[in-house]
Amino acid sequence: MSDATPPEAYAASLAGFDMMSMHRLGALLRHHSPEEAFAVATGRCAPVPHGLIARVVERDGVVEAWKRSALRRPPEQVWAHCLQLGVDVSILGSDGYPPLLHHDPQPPPVVFSRGDLGILDGRRVAVVGTRNATAAGRHMARTLGEGLALEGVHVVSGLARGIDGHAHAGVFDGLGKGADGRPVAVVASGHDVVYPPEHRVLWQRVGNEGLLLSEWPPGSAPAPYRFPQRNRLVAGLSEIVVVVESRETGGSLLTAQMAAERGIPVMAVPGSAISRAAIGVNALLRDGSAPAVDVGDVMVALGLDHSRAHAPGIDPRVRPRVCDVPAYRVCSVKASTVGGVAEALGVAVVDAAMSLARLEQGGWLAHVDGWFEVVGSPLSCP
Amino acid sequence: MIASVPSATLLGVTGQPVTVEVHSGVGVPGFQIVGSPDAACRESRDRVRAALLSSGLAWPNRRITVNLAPSGMRKAGAGLDLAIAIALLVADEQIASDAVEKYAFVGELGLDGTLRGMPGVAPMVACRSRYIAVVPSEAYEQAIAIGAVDVRCAATLLEVVSALAGAPWPDPPHPMSADAAQPLPDLADVRGQPDARLALELAAAGGHHLLLVGPPGAGKTMLAQRLPGLLPVLDPVASLEATMIHSAAGVPVQGGGVVRRPMFRAPHHSSSMVAIIGGGSTALRPGEVSLAHGGVLFMDELGEFPAHVLDALRQPLEEGVVRVSRAASTATLPARFQMVAASNPCPCGGGAPGECECDLTARLKYLRRISGPFLDRFDLRVSVGAATVDDLLGRQLGESTAVVRERVLTARDLALARAGKLNAALTADELETYAPFDHAAESLVRREFEANRLTGRGLHRVRRVARTIGDLSGAPEVIGVDLLTVALQLRVPFASSARVRVA
Repeated sequence: MSDATPPEAYAASLAGFDMMSMHRLGALLRHHSPEEAFAVATGRCAPVPHGLIARVVERDGVVEAWKRSALRRPPEQVWAHCLQLGVDVSILGSDGYPPLLHHDPQPPPVVFSRGDLGILDGRRVAVVGTRNATAAGRHMARTLGEGLALEGVHVVSGLARGIDGHAHAGVFDGLGKGADGRPVAVVASGHDVVYPPEHRVLWQRVGNEGLLLSEWPPGSAPAPYRFPQRNRLVAGLSEIVVVVESRETGGSLLTAQMAAERGIPVMAVPGSAISRAAIGVNALLRDGSAPAVDVGDVMVALGLDHSRAHAPGIDPRVRPRVCDVPAYRVCSVKASTVGGVAEALGVAVVDAAMSLARLEQGGWLAHVDGWFEVVGSPLSCP
Repeated sequence: MIASVPSATLLGVTGQPVTVEVHSGVGVPGFQIVGSPDAACRESRDRVRAALLSSGLAWPNRRITVNLAPSGMRKAGAGLDLAIAIALLVADEQIASDAVEKYAFVGELGLDGTLRGMPGVAPMVACRSRYIAVVPSEAYEQAIAIGAVDVRCAATLLEVVSALAGAPWPDPPHPMSADAAQPLPDLADVRGQPDARLALELAAAGGHHLLLVGPPGAGKTMLAQRLPGLLPVLDPVASLEATMIHSAAGVPVQGGGVVRRPMFRAPHHSSSMVAIIGGGSTALRPGEVSLAHGGVLFMDELGEFPAHVLDALRQPLEEGVVRVSRAASTATLPARFQMVAASNPCPCGGGAPGECECDLTARLKYLRRISGPFLDRFDLRVSVGAATVDDLLGRQLGESTAVVRERVLTARDLALARAGKLNAALTADELETYAPFDHAAESLVRREFEANRLTGRGLHRVRRVARTIGDLSGAPEVIGVDLLTVALQLRVPFASSARVRVA
């Protein structure tokens, strides 16, 4: 082993072993230095007697699997990969490890980060939700992300499809307008494994302009078991968790539960009682979560009521023509096709299509695969 | 003695002239067929022998050689049986050689001497139009369908022999009445679905390919089945081509064997490539795309068709023909059809956003099974919602096929008078001439381009549809923003993922 290999390299390599878990890695690093832990894991050194590791190494196949992992991804190689990607490695208990996570009931033994860890000293709100979001939900997530960033609040999320991605896209909208809030993403794969692939640009920008965190070394695939663990970090890093849309089950409800376990307040964006995408958030509201209708609600919950700081928000959209309002009403009850609107109003398809096109043009409706959905704050007129 | 009798075989959808030559000479008695016959053709020996003996005719105890000229071409099927039998009788001097010289013979023989029909009689007879064709009674309708050929028919070999000896030819069978054709399904049965009905009308009026996406039970198949009823009867050329194709494929046609109405073909998604495109070893049988020639090819569950089958459809979609080549032969099969396809929006068949059980990945994967270039061929792509209870229980019927057809025919006449072709076939240059945009429409196009919702190719497709909408509604010369908007909304960009665009 060359002298140039720092202790973090051994910890980074261990974190990517097969059959390694958060508990096993934690126990290894608690009782041994990283180099020693690596030697124990590869069978070249005896573990502390009577500990968790002493029991684990006696199990069939564990040490063999670890040895194979060590051969496949030696510390030098993992370290070189981290350096190349600009990824910092922090070990629990060492300097530079985020204090916020140190106090978590389930702290990650090793954290891989890209970007400025100092961001975690600021105010932080998580915006999470379903991957199967409606156009309205995506719009809401984007609006919240932008609004929080403009208020100087950092937005924590998971960079998943749907709500997560749009919340961060909103932060970048805010950054374009000179906002101070930054994006913080916790991902469930290695820094070089972009998942979902369509978020490549978002992923890079979060690393460059915000903070991108992972519990796993570069090269780790987005295995399903990693997502619930990732969600606990999203909760643990936030002062408030806002759930935008969620179905009856899903990762965002898990994040809310983890937040509740840690005493972190959960807020939910109310949705239609008959929309599947709102079942989860409405259940949260029924269970006592505070409603988050706009950025102001979240700011009040953070103790930062800036509602008088700016002029009240104005909907910049041009109000729709009177003749288009009935079509808007049809879509606001339930997403509808051109034919659906034409039938509901008893007008010709051509007229319905014209109304819908004008409403879409004006930003009142979103058009997805032939269906029109209401977006933004609802139209308030008789 | 030598005898020579004209006949024909089938390759693809065209008849190939074949001359049957028989030499009857001294030597060890025997019977041999040369000239590249396939298995069914070689077995002709046994059928002809049995048929002759059953008919009470003498079997020559001489050395018989049958040559099928041109001998290089592979001959398939049993259609040469009758010609071989007649040539044999001429060579054996049981029939006078000058009695047969005006006739060409096509037909399969049974062991008892009956004549049987077989696929492809129409094209076979057509390629021997200088002769009087003798065909089995069963195939009489097929043979006269093409017109312009003198046809005689007989039910048995003996009838043919006696007619050649001077007896009158048997009467042709009574034609099936044309009224026996089943009535086409009517558009009045479709409740609700105004946008899908509009799309169907546009497809009929402009010749546009149509994709219907919607949950099970939304009526996609029902709509597609009603398209042929909206189309005009086939012109004589297309009718003749379609008749030939149906005859060659051995597909019976209602009402006299002539294809006059546009056909509706709905192959199952498990169909093989050869079944859909055409082919096979020797005869190169026409596939579903050719059977749909002049009519409608309906592909239900489009995403379930194997990708290579869909990609093979591109040539017929572009050129209106399929060129099928095998080691021994090549055939060009006509295949100018209008495509209507249907698909569920996702694996669970859900409807409106938020109602479906599938996650986004599964949805995108499902629609992406249809390749982008293929999806691009559809001028009209419509989301069909499930019919509501009110629609289903309502007493009010939709517009009937007769009413809509009237409008469609007017619009088609208009398009044909203007450009000599349907709007779906207009080129980019012709669109500039026949479908100019007004100022507002131009700025709408600009906006759509900037929002990345329209591509260059997409613009042409939308423009053709806008032209058709115009033709159906009083034919304004200039494409205004209203026509363009409707055309845009009837071309939904499916499988465009809800991707996050970072500022």
